[in-house]
Parts: sequence; C-alpha cells; structure tokens
Amino acid sequence: MAKIGVFVCHCGENIASMVDTGKLVTAISGHPGVAFSSEYKYFCSDPGQETVKRAIRENNLTGVVVAACSPRMHEQTFRKACAEAGLNPYMLELANIREQCSWVHTDRIEATDKAIEITRALVEKVKRNNDLQPISVPVTRRAMVIGGGVAGIQAAIDIATAGREVVLVEREPSIGGHMSQISETFPTLDCSQCILTPRMVEAVQHPNIRVMTYAEVEEVDGFIGNFTVKVRSKARYVKMETCTGCGDCIQKCPVKKIPSEFECELGNRTAIYTPFAQAVPNVPVIDRSRCTYFKNGKCAICKKTCQIDSIDFEQEDKTEYIEVGAIVVATGFQVQNTSMYGEYGYGRYKDVITGLHFERLASASGPTAGKIKRPSDGKEPETVVFIQCAGSRDASKGVKYCSKICCMYTAKHAMLYAHKVHHGKSQIFYMDIRAAGKGYDEFTRRAIEEDEAGYIRGRVSKLYEENGKLIVRGVDTLLGKPVEVEADMVVLATAMVPQPDAKEFAQRIGIGYDEYGFFNEAHLKLRPVETSTAGIYLAGACQSPKDIPDSVSQASAAAAKVLGLFSKEQLEREPVVATVSDSTCAGCWGCVIACPYNAIDRKEITDRNGNLIKRVASVNPGLCQGCGTCVSFCRSNSIDLAGFTESQIFAEVMGL
Amino acid sequence: MGIQEQYRTDAANLLDSGAVKLVIGYGEGSTPERRRPIFIRSAEEVGRLVLDANCIANLSAYLVPEGLLSDGKSVAVFLKPDGIRSVNILAAEAQLNPEQVVILGFNIDAGLANPLPGRKANEFAPLLASLKSAGLSTDLQREADRLEQMTAVERFEYWKEQFSKCIKCYACRQVCPMCYCRRCIVDVNQPQWVNTSSHTLGNFEWNIIRAYHLAGRCVACGGCDRACPVNIPLRLLNHRMSKEALDTFDHFAGESADQKPVLATFRQDDPETFIL
Amino acid sequence: MTETFEPKIVAFVCTYCTYAGADLAGTSRMKYASNVRMVRLPCTGRISPMFILKALQKGADGVLVSGCHPGDCHFAQGNYHARRRWTVFRSLLAFTGIPEERIKFSWISAAEGAKFAELINSITDEIRALGPFEQYQELQKVIETQSTY
Repeated sequence: MAKIGVFVCHCGENIASMVDTGKLVTAISGHPGVAFSSEYKYFCSDPGQETVKRAIRENNLTGVVVAACSPRMHEQTFRKACAEAGLNPYMLELANIREQCSWVHTDRIEATDKAIEITRALVEKVKRNNDLQPISVPVTRRAMVIGGGVAGIQAAIDIATAGREVVLVEREPSIGGHMSQISETFPTLDCSQCILTPRMVEAVQHPNIRVMTYAEVEEVDGFIGNFTVKVRSKARYVKMETCTGCGDCIQKCPVKKIPSEFECELGNRTAIYTPFAQAVPNVPVIDRSRCTYFKNGKCAICKKTCQIDSIDFEQEDKTEYIEVGAIVVATGFQVQNTSMYGEYGYGRYKDVITGLHFERLASASGPTAGKIKRPSDGKEPETVVFIQCAGSRDASKGVKYCSKICCMYTAKHAMLYAHKVHHGKSQIFYMDIRAAGKGYDEFTRRAIEEDEAGYIRGRVSKLYEENGKLIVRGVDTLLGKPVEVEADMVVLATAMVPQPDAKEFAQRIGIGYDEYGFFNEAHLKLRPVETSTAGIYLAGACQSPKDIPDSVSQASAAAAKVLGLFSKEQLEREPVVATVSDSTCAGCWGCVIACPYNAIDRKEITDRNGNLIKRVASVNPGLCQGCGTCVSFCRSNSIDLAGFTESQIFAEVMGL
Repeated sequence: MGIQEQYRTDAANLLDSGAVKLVIGYGEGSTPERRRPIFIRSAEEVGRLVLDANCIANLSAYLVPEGLLSDGKSVAVFLKPDGIRSVNILAAEAQLNPEQVVILGFNIDAGLANPLPGRKANEFAPLLASLKSAGLSTDLQREADRLEQMTAVERFEYWKEQFSKCIKCYACRQVCPMCYCRRCIVDVNQPQWVNTSSHTLGNFEWNIIRAYHLAGRCVACGGCDRACPVNIPLRLLNHRMSKEALDTFDHFAGESADQKPVLATFRQDDPETFIL
Repeated sequence: MTETFEPKIVAFVCTYCTYAGADLAGTSRMKYASNVRMVRLPCTGRISPMFILKALQKGADGVLVSGCHPGDCHFAQGNYHARRRWTVFRSLLAFTGIPEERIKFSWISAAEGAKFAELINSITDEIRALGPFEQYQELQKVIETQSTY
C-alpha cells in the first residue's frame, strides 16, 4: 500500500501569492494513497528538508511529491533528502507549481485548480515509481587513439601525460599523417616537420604510449569503459625489435622507381622503404606487391645487406585484442580527386597539381628540395594560377561544404612561391576569402600586400594547353570581364574529403556519419567531440574539414573527455535506462534500428542444453542514454524505460 | 497444362526432392467459391491443391508460427504479389529467413490465376517495383476520398458507427501476417492502454492502434476486411496509412527484404509542415 | 450557457527543450492561459501515440506534443523518430474524425519561453472556439454508465 507524502512549498511568496496552498494541501490530503501532507515557507531550506526527512521516517513514506519549483531546479536537492531519510531517491517527484503555475498565471482560483491537478497527477505517478539504483560500470583506464596524425598524436600525448595508458594505432608505416607532408604552416610559416617531429618522437618515447604503426582496427566490441578492439598489425617483414633504422637496405634495394605515396607521386621510393626521412618509428617496411623477392623468390638483397639480420620474409600479420575504456577516433581526411573537373584538366596536364602536391614541391625535404619546379619539365614556373574551391562549395560536381582550410593554404602557397621565385607571378581565382581565425586575415592581407598575390574574384571555366603554356580562362566578376591567364603551373585548392573507407569504418566501430562520410558528433554545439556512442570521441578532420590549430584543440578536448571518464574506477550512470521483456519481445529488431546509441543488441535465449529458443532484443545499460525512442516504437510494448515507465505515464495522464 | 496442374506438379517435385518439407496452398472450401488453406506434406496429396481466381487469401500468415522454420528446412507457399510483399516484410523484421521460403507465385487477372516466374522473394523485385510505381488501389482511394471530403464531425460519426459494431473478436489480428507479436498491445494490462471491453471507446482505441501498427507494413491483402464478422472497412484505415508512408516517406511496404521499418528510421529532411 | 468554456489541454513534452522553455516562460514571468497540463518525458522519442488517446479519454479537448527543434535533440535523433510517428498518427487521427485542430505539434527550445507562452495562448483560444470535444467524451461517458452495473 502506497504511503505518499506531499510537501507543498510556498517558496516565500512566489507560490503562495498565486496558489492557495492551504486548499492544495486539503485537496491532496484526501487523495487515495496520500498518507502525509504539509506546507512550509521554504522546503529547500535546511529546516524544510529536515521536515521532509522526519516525515519520511515517522510515517514510513513510500514516495514523496514536493509541490514546489521545477525539477530542473531542485530535484537533486530532494532526492538527496529522500536518500538521507532512507527512501530510494527515485521515489520522488517534483510538482512544478512555480515556473509552470504561480509565475505564469494571474487568476488565483485557476492557478490553485491547476496546482491541485499537477500535484495529483504526480502523486499517481509516484505511486508507480520503483526503487532504482545508479548503474555502475567498471572502467578500463586505458585509451585507444585511432589515427596517428597530429590530432591523434596530441590526444595520445595529453592522455598519457595525465598518467593513463594509450594505444596509438596508425595504419601507415609511420605516424605523422598529412601534417608531415606539409611544407610550412599558416599563419606563422613555421616549418611543419620542425614542429611536428618532436611531437612524433615524444609520442613514441612516452612510457604510457604504445604506438602501433602499420596496424588496422578491424573490430570494436563492448561499450563505454569496456571496449575490446581487434587490431591487426600488418607484416612489415622487418623486425621492429632489432632494426636500427640505418637505411642500408633502402640504399641497396634495386626496385627504385615506385611512385612515392608520401611525395604524392612526385618522387620515387624503393620496395623496402620508410615513407619519409623523419619517419617514426624509423623502421622500414617491405611493399610486398612490389618486392622482387616476394614476386619470384629472387633478390633478397636487403636481407643480405642487413648487418643485424632484421629482415624476416616469413613474418605474418598479427591480430590482437586490446581492452580499452575509451576510444578517440582521429582518422583524418583525404584530398579529393579532382578528375571530375574535366575543364581543369587534372590528370591530363602534368602541370595541373593539387595543393598537397604544391606542399611537397615547397618542402625542403621534398622531391625538389624545396625548389618550385613544375612536374612536366622541372622548369621554374614564371606564372602560377591557383584555383580555389576546386571541389568545395560545388553541389553539382564536388561537395557542398566549404573545406575551410583552402583559402588559407592558397594564400600561403602564393607567399611561399613569392619567397622562392622572386620574379614569379601568382594569380588566384577565388569565390570568397574565408580567413576567420587568429592571425588569418592578417595573413591573407600580407599575401596580397607584401607578396603581391593577385586575387581574381571568379570561377575558372576552362583550362587548356597551348604552346607549352596552360591557358586559364575565367571571369573576373568584380570587373565583369572575362580573363585569360597564361600559366606555367596551375594549383587546384582541392576539397578535404573523408577517408575513402570512412563510412565502412564508422559502421565497423559503431559511430554515425554524415552524407559525405565525416563522423557525426553527439551534438554539434554542446557535445562536439563526443560521438553518440558513449566512450568514443572524435578529433581532427575525420569529423569535418579542419586546420592544424582546430585539430589540435579538438584532440585536447577529446583527451579531456577521456580523462574525465578515467577519473573514477567505476562509471556511475543515472538508472534511467530501457529494459526489454524477454518473454514478450518478438525480435523484429525495430528498436535495434531506431536506437540512436546502438545500445540494443540481439540476445539469444537458450535452454539448459544450449539449444536456441529465440532471439530477443537486449539493452546494454552502459550505452543506453534513456531517451525512450525504443519504448514507443515497440508494438508489443515489450520495452520500458525506468523512471518513465508505461505504468507511470499512464497513471500520470489518468490522474489529470 | 493449366496453372493448377503445373503447380501441383511443382509441389510434388519440391516435396519428392526434399527441397521443401511442406507446401502451404489452397484447397476446396465449404462452398464452391471458397478456398481454405491446406498443408501438404507428401507428393501423394498434391491432388488436393486448388488454384483458381477464388484463391485470394494471403497465406504468408501461416509461415510465422514459432518453430515452423526453425529447423532450417524450406517451405513452399502459394502467394500472390501481396503475399510476396508480406514475406519481404517478415524477412525485414527478422521473423523468417526468405531463403527458406519457396514461392509458388501467381496473380489473378480477369478471373484467371496466372503463374508468376520466380521462386525466392528477391526474384520478384522487378514485379514489386512495378507495383510501387503503379501506386495504391484507386478503388480504396476513391472511398478514402469520400471520407476525407466529410467534415471531421461526420467522419467521426461514420467511424463511431463502424467501430460500435466491433465485438473485439480479434479476427483481424489473427488473419494478419504482420500481427506476429507474442503479446499484442491490446493484451497488455499493466497498464491497460486499450480498453478491452467492446464499448465504442475501446473499439476506437483498438482499431486506431492496430492501423498505426500496420503503418508502412500493410500490403493491402484485405484479409482483415474479409475476416471481420461485422464488416468494418478496416482496409480503408490501412490504406490511409499506406498512402501516408508512400507519399511522405516513399515507403512501399514489402518492396524488398532489406527495407527498414518506416517508423524506426527517419530522414533529417522528412517533411514537417504541420509542426508549429 | 453564460460561463465561457475553458478547454482542458494536455501537453506531452521533452524535458530538455520544451519543458525547459516552459520553465523559462515562468522565470521570465510571462503570463499565459492556465488550461495546459504538462506531462514531462525525457524525449519526444518516448511519446507514444497511446498517450494522446489516453489524454482524450480523460477529457482533454486538445493535446500538444512538443520537443526540441530538429538537430537540437539532446538524444540526437529522438525528435526525428518522433516526427515520423506524428506524421503517421496525425493523419490517422484526422482520418478517423479527430480534428487536426485539437492535436498540435511544435518545436519549442529551452530558449523559447516566449514562443511557449504565445503558443499556449493561441492553442487555448483556438480550442476554446472549437468547444469541448464532446464527440469523444460521449464515448467515455458510455463506459462510465456501463461500469456502474
């Protein structure tokens, strides 16, 4: 038998001036199940709370309704009071007769009637409340960071420095990501390698960081605090433990003409290689598809050359399962393939290159040692045309979004070109100059004013080759005139796009993605580094186009989230979670599809001999956030949500 | 050879070869124009199978009883296009594995039953796509339009009269291939969402919630309508839901076995003109 | 009848947006009609069509269902799911003669206290003009008389 206590608060005059609290107490005291009722000036005050606690103890109350302010204001206060009096804190409801009654109405009789109804409905609800216990989930205090670009490195270092173990997984042979390909960085023009390499070394030498390069994440199982990640380390055919990185094998490898991915195919590499000189770890890998030994069993010069016998052709891929409590996804981006612009001639004309190619040409460690030489004949270009938004902000051919970094890097390219080729002339076709960021607009102004970058507002309609020149035809929309520029080289500011396998990867690890394949944050504004899967966080350009400062900030933010999660051994969660009734679930999996958090699994019910009886849905309380979307989907009413059960809502509505 | 003979032979071959363990088909009914479901387990019995223009029931409902398909063996079933759509939905909702369902497909045209080529549900995809583009029943739409032209008060009176006849026999539920729940919402008594006694309010609630549960799932086989002993035009309610699913969400129930439930999915740009 | 009819309106709202918006109307001391009774739920995704039918059974002359704007849902997607259900259920109710004017849906954010107050006023006026939902309430009266024997 329910024994409900109702406590009507005056909130000074805030409630009492508009609601006849005496009438409310009288009306509610006669309601079935109400065992105690009283009113007081301020129930949230210490003596007020004492009154509630005493009433609970003395009357053995089974539930409490405080008719006062919004639950958003004092629910926690009174839950605590209930708990202190030995009543389960979830046996409390707040009837909001202040914000939603006394403060908004002007007729005392109407307001009093409304207050009575609100309170009565919640008395009906609280009769059906259940004792709930906070859910505690153990937390494995080790993080995995997927992707070893600047974002991944930053997140790993931040987490590790705070004293937690980190596994950093990178699929390329070296960490460093796209930032290691970049020559100088805007808006300060410091050399990318110079600022990144120390970070790479710090990561690999950090006692709390285990770097796994040339490794892929294949599967993620489990939930927040308790993930098991299947990682496959690809065979390098070089022993990590013994190799000193002397590079003799690379020198001697006879297969030398393989276009280097790192150099955007502007340079070559060997079959046994490190992607770049500052690679971390400085241990080469053998490209099995290009190696003569793997093709026909001959050669093995590298093995003969190696003085410490670190070449191992027998190596195989190794799979391991790693337990972690949190995952930071920092898988980065790709540069869009611009061949869909037939009119720009990318892929047809050797001297039409992308921004990333230009980075390699400008890089002191690049294929031209930092000299700007055009790919076709190695000549220094006298005129360079840059085409912005080559793919971005183009719903018909490219992508709808703004790639965010291109305005800045194009300005930087024009500057670098001006610094390296003093008599050179740069022309930039642009739609808008978007230079929002600290020091960014000043930077573009410098490109225009000091380095004489010629900005032409308009699109390029056509590009063709004539007499060894690239003729760029476009329009200057500010002058309203067509323009034609003879160029020696054209640089396309191509869009940043998600990794080609981003969608498939997202499905594999269970996070959401947008139409392009950028990973979805839990809330664009308020939870920008979390995904909707609890315990998985985002950093860098895998979420949306980002420059280095943004990627690094987001990485540190993700690390802070991870560290917050790791601050306790147990994760305490509100027990407002859904549960499935095994006996009535028909296994249609509508809830599994509808759940925004992938919190519902398919569970097999077997008899004592292990024979399958049926499959039913099963909510993982570690993942469930308590929205109740599954509850109202379920046709057979087989799911319920603690704290807002079907019985509670039914009683509340029928109590109105 | 007529379709009946051909399908009897097909059924016999399927059973003899062990390709299926059971054939669900139509047999003679209590009157010459009635057909009833029969269950054939051996080739000797195929002579009992009848296939003609009177075979209108959607036999897919007989595929869902628990345990029928759990041994992994296959079952053959006579299905019209509506039944094939039902199989797709049941597959999409994990109630059966379409690989275990051998379809003896036919349609009824101008008073004749004609064979439909194909054996597995996915082989009928072009047919179902053409049904989708042909749109929903114009007859039902005409009747729905008639109702929509009434005032809300008149419409309410119309349905009140219809639902007042309901005796809550649940024949509509029993005949429906989509009503496979282990426990129907009407049988939930904690809390008692639907008033179960057969007064008009409870009848209203029951019929509304049933139509809602069929949104994007009804294939318009008309089974409920025929089963109703008091002739409530249930098909109209279902039709209205199908129309909403098709017009608003481009969802044609049972178009394929990997179709997602219309109410468990969404698009960010779903229309919302009615939301203030 | 000399006394003006005061409709009963039941609102099903999510706690993160519309309930918070209503609180904001309160803290800003906006004034609105006292006819609405709120049922607080975690998310619009939790609002089942049965709630609406039960509110009507309990004599509601109008129902409001309200939550976060698209893209703002605390639970990321709950309101998108809700929107589909509303679309379908609303057309079903209209088809069975339950007037669209009595069943309202809205997006009200935690910052839209003013919108909440205005909406409650306009809905109350509209439903007051429609009069009581006698057709539905008749059905309930029948049960009450039946259950006496």
